[in-house]
Amino acid sequence: MRLWRVVLLLNLALGLGLLMGFLAWGRPLGEARRELAELRGQAVTPGVERVFRARGVVRAIVPEINVIVLSHEDIAGFMPPMTMGFRAQDPKLYDGVKVGDVLAFTLRGVPPNVVITELRKEGML
Amino acid sequence: MLGLARAAGLVALVTAVGLLALNAAYVAGRPGAALDPAAWGRVLSSTQFGAVWLLRTGVLLLLTALLWAREREDSTADWAALRGESWLLAAAGAGALAWAGHAAAVEADGGAALGADLLHLVAAGAWLGALGPLHLLLRAASIPGGADARPFAVLAARRFSRMALLAMLVLVATGLWNAWEQLGDIPSLLGTRYGWLLLLKVALLVPILALAAVNRSRLVPALPGDAETVGRPAMARLARFVAAEWMLALAILAVVAVLGATPPGKHEAPWWPLSFRLSWDAAALPGVRTRVLIGGQIAVVGVLGLIVAVLLARARAVAALAGVALVTVGLWVALPPLSVDAYPTTYRRTTVPYQASSIAHGEALYRSHCVLCHGPAGWGDGPAGAGLPKKPADLTAPHTAQHTAGDMYWWLIHGIPASGMPAFGAVLGEDDRWDLINYIRGLASGEQGRMLSATIEPNRPRIGAPDAAFAVGPGPSRTIKDFRGVKTVLLVLYSLPDSAPRMATLARAYETLQALGTEVIAVPRERGEAPIARLGGNPPVYYPVVTEGAEEIAQAYGLFRRNLSPEGMKPDPSMPAHMEFLVDRAGYLRARWIAGEPGASWAEIPALMAEIQALNRETPAPPPAEHVH
Repeated sequence: MRLWRVVLLLNLALGLGLLMGFLAWGRPLGEARRELAELRGQAVTPGVERVFRARGVVRAIVPEINVIVLSHEDIAGFMPPMTMGFRAQDPKLYDGVKVGDVLAFTLRGVPPNVVITELRKEGML
Repeated sequence: MLGLARAAGLVALVTAVGLLALNAAYVAGRPGAALDPAAWGRVLSSTQFGAVWLLRTGVLLLLTALLWAREREDSTADWAALRGESWLLAAAGAGALAWAGHAAAVEADGGAALGADLLHLVAAGAWLGALGPLHLLLRAASIPGGADARPFAVLAARRFSRMALLAMLVLVATGLWNAWEQLGDIPSLLGTRYGWLLLLKVALLVPILALAAVNRSRLVPALPGDAETVGRPAMARLARFVAAEWMLALAILAVVAVLGATPPGKHEAPWWPLSFRLSWDAAALPGVRTRVLIGGQIAVVGVLGLIVAVLLARARAVAALAGVALVTVGLWVALPPLSVDAYPTTYRRTTVPYQASSIAHGEALYRSHCVLCHGPAGWGDGPAGAGLPKKPADLTAPHTAQHTAGDMYWWLIHGIPASGMPAFGAVLGEDDRWDLINYIRGLASGEQGRMLSATIEPNRPRIGAPDAAFAVGPGPSRTIKDFRGVKTVLLVLYSLPDSAPRMATLARAYETLQALGTEVIAVPRERGEAPIARLGGNPPVYYPVVTEGAEEIAQAYGLFRRNLSPEGMKPDPSMPAHMEFLVDRAGYLRARWIAGEPGASWAEIPALMAEIQALNRETPAPPPAEHVH
């Protein structure tokens, strides 16, 4: 075979190899990034009852509307740390709880509709 | 010629295998791994070096195979194909190295750095690779029996001369770009190992350029001259010069090998080797600016003279001499007043951020080591300072034009013998020194902060707000810096019971303030039990009340209690019961309200909202410097 044909074939093979390599590994990388972003967006699978445990400090109690406002730590798989209101399954849970109390609490329900089912006082701030 | 290329291909493959073995041993951390197939596999499959190695070795294999398996060259098409393909594969093999170097590790602007590195490698390969064969050809043609080779040698030398000029231009341009990327500033060039190696590289390049200039201007034009008296002697000399260039180039390669294993200068703390530095800020001092301007003008005239010398053939020597003399005189006039004392640590950057905890620790150190001479406010008026040969420095004076944080770092270790400042190198560790420097920055900022008021004034010099870490109850630790670019911060230093009504007002206004993009952070000034419980639930308090880190924040921001009132002028004014600070989105302390002070007040929430809205209307400023200058 003539040398220039060999060289031409070689370059074609190299180009084809690079293209296939890009198709095989280059594109899935972009897809993987997209999938990761999607996964981060929806950490909660809808429609399933879940249980979460976390700690928080009591900022306010409004028994009239059955709401306790907590500054809580990260609730893994549900929500980042923030200050927000929760409802209790049974308003009796609030008995003896004061503003400034540090609580370990349990949330139960189908996200985002969860209620506090248990709480335990850990200290006061 | 072809034989040489074939041999080079084999050498490249063998060294590639050796390099892989070395890297395997290095990554595994034991010499035995150099011959361990499993270690090779790990390097190849899981490191950037491995990926680049595979690609490069593949390309080199193809190139060597192409060179060895050559059949007949029957036509120009074959001839061009072989050379074109060899060139392409060789360039790919050399360029692939760019992905294994420091440039590939540059985070921002990686593409440009990678491109520059690639060009640099290909140009270096083209230049260096051609030097050896050229030397052999010239030597063969310069002996009496080499008459047949002479026309080829002349042609090759001319071609190489053109190619080398281009390669050198590319090398210098991309080299400068790379150096800038990896160093970032002059202190890194003069004060780090990486910078010194680069200087060595440049020093080796200078004789190469000198040789190349002689070759290009004298020897290459003389080559086709009369064989006995001009041409052959010129060729023999050129052959020797090319060999010398090649030796120097190998030395540069050796330096490059060390450079590749040295962390780039911008990641190292530079060790300034000179006892002075040039500071443009010194031009702000009285009398200096005129001198600098005059000297600068003289130097500019000198540079013009040099340009004239290059352009004009006539009187070139006179113009050049005058130019050099004028530039020297100009610099001699302009530079000395700009020169400022410097120390080895002058360009050291702080390793401890300007944070409340560092400032608080620095304050404790200041109270026990510095206050006796420098005084409680840092004014240099301490009782023990009176008998010293020189009055202790006023640490709150705007002296950044003269001194860097690295200067202070040096004085803290070694003292200032002439003025009586003792050395604390044995007493204070590295972090202690930076803590003290952060505290002194806070002290100076507090002095500057005396003109802060409850009104935002856009043109007031901006004071960087100290950062601080804090936590609310079991929540995560956050910093004030987290709010940069996101929210303005109203930092409230309160003490009960005096602040109770104000805290209730803020609790009611919290929703409105949040809607304006402001986070309220309440910091109890006094150490006490249960700050959240003490604020009570009526009205409910939803803004963060700091339960961890409050003490340090109160201490650091307490430095900003000075104002223009007679009380604020005292060296150690009393701590007000209630203070509020507005920190803008860029991280500057923009306004302060001390409850009870005369003048503008935030007691009514609408007044506070007006100031926040003034901040919201501003175009964002660049964030404050991370460290003292």
